[in-house]
Amino acid sequence: MIDRITDIWGSRTPYAAGADWPARADQYLADGVAEADVAWVQSACVLCSMDCGMDVAVKDGRIVGVRGRTADRVNHGRLGPKGLFGWQANASPDRLTQPLVRRNGKLEPATWDEAMDLVVERSRQVIGEHGPLGMGFYTSGQLFLEDYYTIGLVVRGGIGTPHLDGNTRLCTATAAFALKETFGSDGAPGSLTDFDSCDTLFMVGHNPAETHTVLWARLLDRLAGPDRPRLIVVDPRRTKVAQAADVHLPVRNGTNLALLNGILHELIAGDHVDKSFVEAHTVGFDKLAQTVAGYDADRVAEICGVPAADIRAAAEIIGSARRLVSTCLQGVYQSHQATATACQINNVNLLRGMIGKPGCTVFQLNGQPTAQNTRETGADGDMVGFRNWQNPAHVADLARVWKLDPLQIPSWGPPTHAMQIFRYAQEGAIRFLWITGTNPAVSLPELARIRSILSQERLFVVVSDAFLTETGRLADVVLPAAMWAEKTGTFTNHDRTVHLSERAIEPPGQARSDMDVFLDYARRLGLSNADGEPLVPWQSPEECFTAFTVVTRGRPCDYSGLSYDKLRGGSGIQWPCNADAPDGTERLYTDHVFDTDPDECEDYGHDLSTGAAFERKDFVALGAAGRAVLKAAHYKPAHEPPDDDYPLLFTTGRTAYHWHTRTKTAHAPQLQNAAPEAWVELSPADADRLGVAEGDVVRVESRRGRLEAKARLSGVREGVVFAPFHFGYWDRDGDGPDGTPTAANELTMTVWDPVSKQPQFKGAAVRVERIADGGGVPAPAPTTTASEPAAGGLPPTAGGTGVRETVEQR
Amino acid sequence: MKMNKAVEDVHEAEGELAKRLRRTGERHAAESDLFHLGHTLARQCAEHLRALAPFAERYGAKPAPDDVDASPGLLEAARVKSAGLVGRTEAAGLLLMADLRELYLAAQHAELAWVVLLQAAKARRDAGLIDVVTRCHEEAEMCGKWVRTRIKEAAPQVYAAG
Repeated sequence: MIDRITDIWGSRTPYAAGADWPARADQYLADGVAEADVAWVQSACVLCSMDCGMDVAVKDGRIVGVRGRTADRVNHGRLGPKGLFGWQANASPDRLTQPLVRRNGKLEPATWDEAMDLVVERSRQVIGEHGPLGMGFYTSGQLFLEDYYTIGLVVRGGIGTPHLDGNTRLCTATAAFALKETFGSDGAPGSLTDFDSCDTLFMVGHNPAETHTVLWARLLDRLAGPDRPRLIVVDPRRTKVAQAADVHLPVRNGTNLALLNGILHELIAGDHVDKSFVEAHTVGFDKLAQTVAGYDADRVAEICGVPAADIRAAAEIIGSARRLVSTCLQGVYQSHQATATACQINNVNLLRGMIGKPGCTVFQLNGQPTAQNTRETGADGDMVGFRNWQNPAHVADLARVWKLDPLQIPSWGPPTHAMQIFRYAQEGAIRFLWITGTNPAVSLPELARIRSILSQERLFVVVSDAFLTETGRLADVVLPAAMWAEKTGTFTNHDRTVHLSERAIEPPGQARSDMDVFLDYARRLGLSNADGEPLVPWQSPEECFTAFTVVTRGRPCDYSGLSYDKLRGGSGIQWPCNADAPDGTERLYTDHVFDTDPDECEDYGHDLSTGAAFERKDFVALGAAGRAVLKAAHYKPAHEPPDDDYPLLFTTGRTAYHWHTRTKTAHAPQLQNAAPEAWVELSPADADRLGVAEGDVVRVESRRGRLEAKARLSGVREGVVFAPFHFGYWDRDGDGPDGTPTAANELTMTVWDPVSKQPQFKGAAVRVERIADGGGVPAPAPTTTASEPAAGGLPPTAGGTGVRETVEQR
Repeated sequence: MKMNKAVEDVHEAEGELAKRLRRTGERHAAESDLFHLGHTLARQCAEHLRALAPFAERYGAKPAPDDVDASPGLLEAARVKSAGLVGRTEAAGLLLMADLRELYLAAQHAELAWVVLLQAAKARRDAGLIDVVTRCHEEAEMCGKWVRTRIKEAAPQVYAAG
């Protein structure tokens, strides 16, 4: 029987280019549960940005399993390990079931009325003393569209503060900005079906084998098919994806932009440019060509630490591609010069004229399941419906829908980014901070700083969560949140596919959905619109969704043709979905007219090197008007290069078996057992120099902090140290390190990309020392993923039995 | 001919801009973007002057020597320390605005010095100098745009919040 912890991607169903990806129904029911005894409720998975269609099995008011939906366009029935096993977290005894209020320094149970009265009283006090700019809100990429849209209206329209951002800032802010800079608006140009027909894949800093396991299953099926696409991988780790590559470029961390400029240089020098496409559908080619002219393969090889011949080979493959799909994720987004690099990946496809047609696209991917909705609803650094905050007509239009004076909506600048919100809290400018569904005390950089900000007496912290996280432990009020499957709502994945997820069970105890809590907050604050009516006109998720279909009508993310009824049954549906495209839209820009009309675009763009914001007149002068913008920037060395004191480069990342700070996945035994503890990865050469053997305990130290964990000698690039960012302190009942620090973000830097403001997690100078002998016991790191030992010889990570896979015969 | 003077003016203006970028970054070390980007752009000023060096020699300019950059690692250690000390005073906002305004003027001053040199280079038909100045001018201009963007973002919180 198949073990889906060992075999993360399940059994192969190979297929050829242009064919349909065969369906495979994955199902897991808890031990002893008979299929005949369960009721199935439609949903989709929320443990990565694929949003695989799934049904939830319910018996006696409890979730007892899941199955993939074969009709769904995203996954054709498949589920990954997190999707198969992660639902067990809902029933965990660790769930928060009642509000907590800090009394005499201690969090104590309280009623909802007591907790909300306190939240409202402090809100009124801060607004009275400091104005709306004293209020800050930090949300998630894991709530539902209806939660975000309600939060967005209450915070921006009601309270009137720009200080609302999502943890999507750490995740996919760069995806959004790269799309805006190049194409004029957010929105993935392509479709997951482009992976079915491409002949070449260019994957930069993207490890789908662990972060998008069902996408990797699709690619494995193509790679095992009769016409294997060629694969180029840029990653300093020897991931499973890198192992499958035709060319693997394990670049030195912090040199992505030099590499991309080098690839573009080779494409131009090798005459691989689709000149008629570039001429007709882009602006900026001359500047781009001039910028990359100095990036010959030999110079780039020197900067990036990879052979020049491999750079040329990669460019040759891209240059001879007929159907190219490029992808990128955190290796790009969480490095310095993030947006500049992501834009160059867009440029690769534009120079090749490979966008807006089958098998030809670029994916600026997401990480979190509902990150796309944080962006669409304006609960992060964007405005509702991809409106442009610098365009008064857009703001006026939103004010009309919200029945507010346009002046009420903060549009004097971009919505405040998360790192700036925390900075304002640090200096006392923000006195009230409400955090929903995210755990900054583990996930933000430089944790000692974050803990000290959240612990301030003068800052009132409210945390809404399903579990008592490290962040919750630092809060003044903790509110128990209903999770996925305990509320109805919608969310959208990284190819614009919208899914409906129905409430399958009751939330535990007194837990409530975030939407309900913010409706209650608005009511208690007495927020109203310009006509004196209640600000938020909806009560149910479905009413909220309907309101969202109205506010997005005519915008790029047009939901106006969607409804809950339409999303019930069958597959998720891709926006834009409207009267012209009632079944949704597979690809954007098929006519090669991009969203760069100055009246329509979501953003006027930025200088990629400094983040200087362009204004309308700058954008008009660019003359894009429907053409894509080829933006260029020079490589600059990273902020903290290794030196004698801190000679190694530190990078963080994720494993296939855990999600974020493990609040969900550590409560699923199969996942927890697969990766039970923190570890650190060293290359065998570095380990040898440091006298470290597999399983020895090492201390990794940066100028900001340290962590201690067992060492795995893996395929990470020499000179680079890797640690997963999942391992905080909540399962030791702590808000921070008590003795043994294990969180990777103890070490990371407070610095961000100048355009997307995404923090940098992949590049800090560190030193490593061995502090204890491991006695020959290997590190507790998975052996089935990028953390597998370089020398091999360890048994595969296991423990995922009981899954049934049914391949549908064609 | 006073080409040497136009080159020296650029040197002085870029040197002053670099100094102000570093000083603003260090005085407001808790503003991490100002700190890191400030130092990156200060290094860019030094690169500009290196690119200009052959022309300084050609036209007999005698610029003052450049400041030596501190290493990024040492700077980061200083940032962590000083950000903890000064990062929590509420008066920091007004000081920040004052320093950013000065920085903006320094960037404008440098931008204009490049414009003057570009005009002179064109009249001298010095194609090599025109190339260098065109590139550097654009970056100096962008530096000013960046400071302006930063000022616009910072102003509401400093002046309009309680």
